[in-house]
Amino acid sequence: MNDLYHFEDFTIGRRFAFGAYTVTKDEIFEFARAFDPQPHHLDEDAANASMLKGLSASGWHVCAMTMRMFAEGIILKTANRGGVGCDEARWIKPVRPGDVLRLEVVVRAAKESARHPGVGFVTFDCNVFNTHEQVAMVSMTPIILKRGA
Amino acid sequence: MWFEDIEIGARREIGSYTFTEDEIIAFAQKYDPQVFHLDPVAAKDSMFGGLVASGWHTAAIWMKLMIDSRKDDTAKTNDASRAGVSPGFENMRWMKPVRPGMTITYTSEVTEKVNLKSRPKLGLVKSLNEARDESGDVVMRFTGKGFVPKRPKA
Repeated sequence: MNDLYHFEDFTIGRRFAFGAYTVTKDEIFEFARAFDPQPHHLDEDAANASMLKGLSASGWHVCAMTMRMFAEGIILKTANRGGVGCDEARWIKPVRPGDVLRLEVVVRAAKESARHPGVGFVTFDCNVFNTHEQVAMVSMTPIILKRGA
Repeated sequence: MWFEDIEIGARREIGSYTFTEDEIIAFAQKYDPQVFHLDPVAAKDSMFGGLVASGWHTAAIWMKLMIDSRKDDTAKTNDASRAGVSPGFENMRWMKPVRPGMTITYTSEVTEKVNLKSRPKLGLVKSLNEARDESGDVVMRFTGKGFVPKRPKA
């Protein structure tokens, strides 16, 4: 994939929007069976009785779906040197079967590396919206990028 | 286990997991299609020098082991309304790559208990979660947050 974006392209406040990602019941079950086998992600009756009042995707599944949108929107077109983690993620609203998610990211911080002259750190504020344009998850994600020539 | 029963400083090993090449690739195909997670040959030319697991995969396995480790307690209470719900997490760092064949051991330590004015029946428990490779080096670390029900008043 071509390196369309470099460190210098991510000026503070620049906004990007991606998606959509349609959340299916089958995928919620599939992820939950593999990684988060709790009744409220696996069983509709148990989910209705739970604090989340209905079937919802694992928060880790929402992170994974967000990663997919972020990868397709930016990372795969970028001189990316790898993620270092996630400063914070908040699961604000349950993600339900049938939700169509979209992702908006805004550059929160950008800093050249003092130790490695060829790279810089960029932190993105990520907002995941559900079908009703409600924020379902927010996160803060730093990545390392190569500087342009 | 009620909020009142949880002790700050309590630390436990929640389990170990051996990552396979097939699982690393399958996760990447669905959720994190970067070449160093996806293609063992092309990954050799990447900065990692070989295939590595997505950090989100390493995190998802933490969740799996955590649920597995709680099975006994869940069976005893048998109450879906007490299922673990989390508002999120903080300070996740992927410090070292997780490669195919590596066995990763996860631990969790209670670091903080918070009473919630808005939710009198619940408390918030914070935990420091770490994943280590066979040499004991930390490969991932994060602060988890979970709502835990308080013991009903008699």
